[in-house]
Amino acid sequence: MTYFRKRFSIISAIFEALIKPPETVDYPKGALMLPEGFRGALLFDTDQCIGCGLCVRNCPADALHMEKKSRDEYKLIHYPARCAYCGQCEDNCRHGAIYHSNQLVKPTDNPAGLIVVLKEKKEA
Amino acid sequence: MSKISIPIGPQHPLLKEPLSMKIDISGEKVLGGSLRLGYVHRGIERLAQKRNYVQTIHLVERVCGICSHIHTTTFCQAVESLLKLEVPPRAQYLRALMCELERIHSHLLWLGILAKHVGLDTIFMHTWHDRELALDVMEEITGGRVLHGANQIGGVRFDLDESHFPMIHANLEKLRSQILGLLDILENEPALIARTKGVAPVSQKTIRQYGVVGPVARASGVDVDMRRDNPLPPYDQLKFSVVTMPDGDAWARTIVRAEEIRESLNLCEMILEDLPDGEVSKRAPRNVPEGEVIIRSEAPRGELFYYLRSDGTDQPARLKIRTPTLAALCLLPVQMSDIQVADIPVVLAGVDLCVACADR
Repeated sequence: MTYFRKRFSIISAIFEALIKPPETVDYPKGALMLPEGFRGALLFDTDQCIGCGLCVRNCPADALHMEKKSRDEYKLIHYPARCAYCGQCEDNCRHGAIYHSNQLVKPTDNPAGLIVVLKEKKEA
Repeated sequence: MSKISIPIGPQHPLLKEPLSMKIDISGEKVLGGSLRLGYVHRGIERLAQKRNYVQTIHLVERVCGICSHIHTTTFCQAVESLLKLEVPPRAQYLRALMCELERIHSHLLWLGILAKHVGLDTIFMHTWHDRELALDVMEEITGGRVLHGANQIGGVRFDLDESHFPMIHANLEKLRSQILGLLDILENEPALIARTKGVAPVSQKTIRQYGVVGPVARASGVDVDMRRDNPLPPYDQLKFSVVTMPDGDAWARTIVRAEEIRESLNLCEMILEDLPDGEVSKRAPRNVPEGEVIIRSEAPRGELFYYLRSDGTDQPARLKIRTPTLAALCLLPVQMSDIQVADIPVVLAGVDLCVACADR
């Protein structure tokens, strides 16, 4: 009996696997559950941004760029293809202007989508 | 019989990472082999000198896709040591929790690869399925499945609240019951024993000569573990045993890693039980004072070494990373003699290769 158990111990695991439902998610047909803290697509709140540039300073992937002429005249650009989705910009922003959503980043065939102007402020 | 040299790699179906080998065979017998590395060299150490400390955390996280967290932890500990910044105890425990989860998933991944190389695909499916439970916990608490982005200088970027604990406990419990059953099967599986026992044993002397660390060294009877020998908090307050085996063959490495999974599961529960209250991070200054520091920690594959020199600015003046797999790779040509051709995958899998780690 011990010999049988040792020799064929894996068989019980195989039969167990036969009756188990699939573990994988049938995405995109099935619902994909992403955790709350998942660092997905980047969202931006234009009203909250004060143009301090802290998000640009620590971005490890150079995915954020700021063209700043003065305090009241600047342009904040995001390059999604470079973005590492590390969450550093969200950590740095003291006003909650830039943050990650828990949604997946959708692929695009539009080359214009590779450069996103997050905010363009011109002097009044 | 005449000697034939077979070039394998850098791209080949045996390994998922680029590694070039030249193996000399005579009939079914392997006479020797040599290695060529450097196909995934990314110049991370040089890149670190062009980035500030915060950016470098995300850079060193990308040294390895399996043990990404221990790299950031070790780097942050080096910077914090130069800053003389005391990390809150809760952050230390949370870092250790992530390190242990990483060890579990790294060892399970390795077990799966070994099983696949010896033809036990069922074991491969089971270990990789169970590994997902550990990855799920990491994703739930940090937001990243592989690249966690969990560390920052002065602490961690995430915190556990009451809503996380039921999920973590449930997953760890499920993992424990599934893993223990699987390891019992593995340890009694005649096919696995036949393919791994006595294959390319490495003596304790050779291990010391080559400076090999981690589970490979422990499987040859070298009792070394940075968590115990050079404990960084909170490992000085946690109780665990270091598993060693005397044989040094592929079977001993399997047993060492299997036992380490059990130890890590215990450690995870211990950490969750003793988790102190309080803040999870402290504000760190941007510039790091002049100085140099060496930090050694225990990655899933062995001792990880970081040397950091600062010149008082916000960028590292020099960062040197010594990963545990580099020494293990140097051991491969030694093992590639007096074995059968069919044992080559077992020898390759046995050292737990991570070419990306070694090349940096």
